[in-house]
Amino acid sequence: MKFIASAVIYVVFAVVGLGAAVAAPTAEDILAASDTIRNPGRPFSVTVTLTEFQAGKQVDTSTLGSYSREQPDGQFASLIRFVLPARDAGKLMLKNGNDLWFYDPVAKSSVRLSPQQRLLGQASNGDVATVNFAKDYRVKLLGQEVVQNGEKLQRNAHKLAMTAVAPDATYASIEMWVDAENNRPIKARFFAESTRLLKTAYYRRYELALGLERPTETVIIDGVNPKSVTLMRLSDYKAINIPDAWLQRDYLPRFQPE
Amino acid sequence: MRSMPHARSLFKVSVLSLAMLQALPALAAGDDLDALSLESAPAEAAAGVASAASTSQIFVEGALGNATQRFQSGSREVNRASFDLTHSARLAPGLRAVVSNRLDYLHPADPGTDAAVNSLREAYVSWQPEGGNTVVELGRINLRFGPAYGYNPTDFFRDGALRTLTTVNPFALRENRLGTVMLRGQHLWSGAALSVAYSPKITEAPNPNAKVDGWSLDLGATNNRDRALIALSTQLSQNVNSQVLLYKEPSRSATVGANVTALLSDGAVAHAEWSRGSEPDLLSRALGAPGPAVKRNRFAGGVTYTTLSKLSMTAEYQYTGFAVGRSEWQALSAAPLAQLGYLRESLRLLELAPRQAYLLYVTQKSLGLKNLDLTAFLRINADDQSRLAWAELRHHWPSFDLTLQAQQYFGKPSTEFGLSPQRRVVQVLGTYYF
Repeated sequence: MKFIASAVIYVVFAVVGLGAAVAAPTAEDILAASDTIRNPGRPFSVTVTLTEFQAGKQVDTSTLGSYSREQPDGQFASLIRFVLPARDAGKLMLKNGNDLWFYDPVAKSSVRLSPQQRLLGQASNGDVATVNFAKDYRVKLLGQEVVQNGEKLQRNAHKLAMTAVAPDATYASIEMWVDAENNRPIKARFFAESTRLLKTAYYRRYELALGLERPTETVIIDGVNPKSVTLMRLSDYKAINIPDAWLQRDYLPRFQPE
Repeated sequence: MRSMPHARSLFKVSVLSLAMLQALPALAAGDDLDALSLESAPAEAAAGVASAASTSQIFVEGALGNATQRFQSGSREVNRASFDLTHSARLAPGLRAVVSNRLDYLHPADPGTDAAVNSLREAYVSWQPEGGNTVVELGRINLRFGPAYGYNPTDFFRDGALRTLTTVNPFALRENRLGTVMLRGQHLWSGAALSVAYSPKITEAPNPNAKVDGWSLDLGATNNRDRALIALSTQLSQNVNSQVLLYKEPSRSATVGANVTALLSDGAVAHAEWSRGSEPDLLSRALGAPGPAVKRNRFAGGVTYTTLSKLSMTAEYQYTGFAVGRSEWQALSAAPLAQLGYLRESLRLLELAPRQAYLLYVTQKSLGLKNLDLTAFLRINADDQSRLAWAELRHHWPSFDLTLQAQQYFGKPSTEFGLSPQRRVVQVLGTYYF
């Protein structure tokens, strides 16, 4: 009797699973929908508060203003303005594809950065927030998984595997879990070319911002030292005008938050 | 029949294994669970970040140091207190005022000079009509060009701009320099920008009492002749940026310049800058009897490579055709005062003293400790092989930096760095940021 009941359950699961598979959207659709939730589709500014922990103890905080705009190639260009700590206040970083600049208003100097130099700073965590993965990565749907989300709840998720196709993509590959019910990104694991895990990110605290429920906090766990954790809080989303002409080195000395 | 239970067990084990595998991402993440229990710091000062009407950067710095003398026995103290302010305020939509000032108190002061030296680096208004693609600025503006680290042939407004010398680090030197009074306009297009600047003559010559009067605006240092500059910046591709510049002074033919930066790989960036102009050579200017104008080149080029272990290294080659050559310098060794005058003039003009030089510049973030950074450089005079080595260890706290700096001059007597009155300088600095 027990066996029959178990078999029935398995069959029901299999049929439901099959049905879900038939009706399932493509991996590309899921990823694009998830990108839309993370990234507003119009130029915007947002305040980014980064809180860094080592073994559960807070060791650093910093605040940045991020001004982003989607470029014709579908990727985001951003101006990052450092607000806190006071030592870095007013400094700027421009990321427009591979065109990366750091500007110090006191020294009036613009220094071109390599992608590796940019990764040294906290601003690189912005990648986890403002990147259209669908543009830079080839994606495959690996299946369905029950996964714990950032609020520690079990969610049924699509598991996606992404491989970089754009030459300037920051990560060689990414695994991402997207909520099967609403396409909200839940969790992602970012890998280097060597398949070394660079970081794990949980997207959580969904709140209404610029017309959609978006994650307002990302928990970023270091791949090598999982006791090193950064919380990235996004607040004060605003739709603003960012002309394309501003996203170049020569604009940096003139940039003023309005 | 006996095989049935076995088959059933196998089936159950398989399904259970599958279920466990599915549950693994949730179960295997002990560190993740810890991380998910963490709470962000309060969004301190976050409100209004994107709409700040005014911004300020203020810091105070104190330095206690000791310099070993080359030509005298013993050593002397080199102490300093500095107050540094940069403030930008919106006066009306599209109109801003910017003030940037630094006050240094040097102890002991050089004989005949004021201990307190104020440098009004910038004071200007900036008008940016709606749309933001055009800007017009008027006032004392620090207009800087050139991507090179240690010598900038396309930085045309550099000469006479250094009022106090508080460091030999070429990056930090820029923080002290005076702007030039000018009218400046810039227009931006997508991927390109055109800048035009006109700087009028305000006085005939630098104020001879500028060092005595520490509060002098020293307008003569930067505005002792009419000057004009046009610069066109272009983004040639995602990996290559360039600038072409044309600079003009009365009674001199125009100087042309160009600079370029290029991304070579994920970790490497190259830079180069060049200018060609006609002017008297540096030695005749230093001796106060400028000779006939000669047409020469200036050049700086290098590569910066950054590793994933937060080490960044730059190697740069520098050249100027206006400096004295090796044989001329050797001939000058008979007149050490002339050599010193030449070196002083090259520093005043922020010009290269030898014809060729090298710079190695290294930074290591998080050296052993997360908030400990090392910066070091080595300047090598390629003509006389003298060297200047400088290193700094800096530890950051939220609003305070503690820094240990050391610099050492190497070289035979009558070489560029062998002539330095200081042999070694060691300083401890404390910087508080408001």
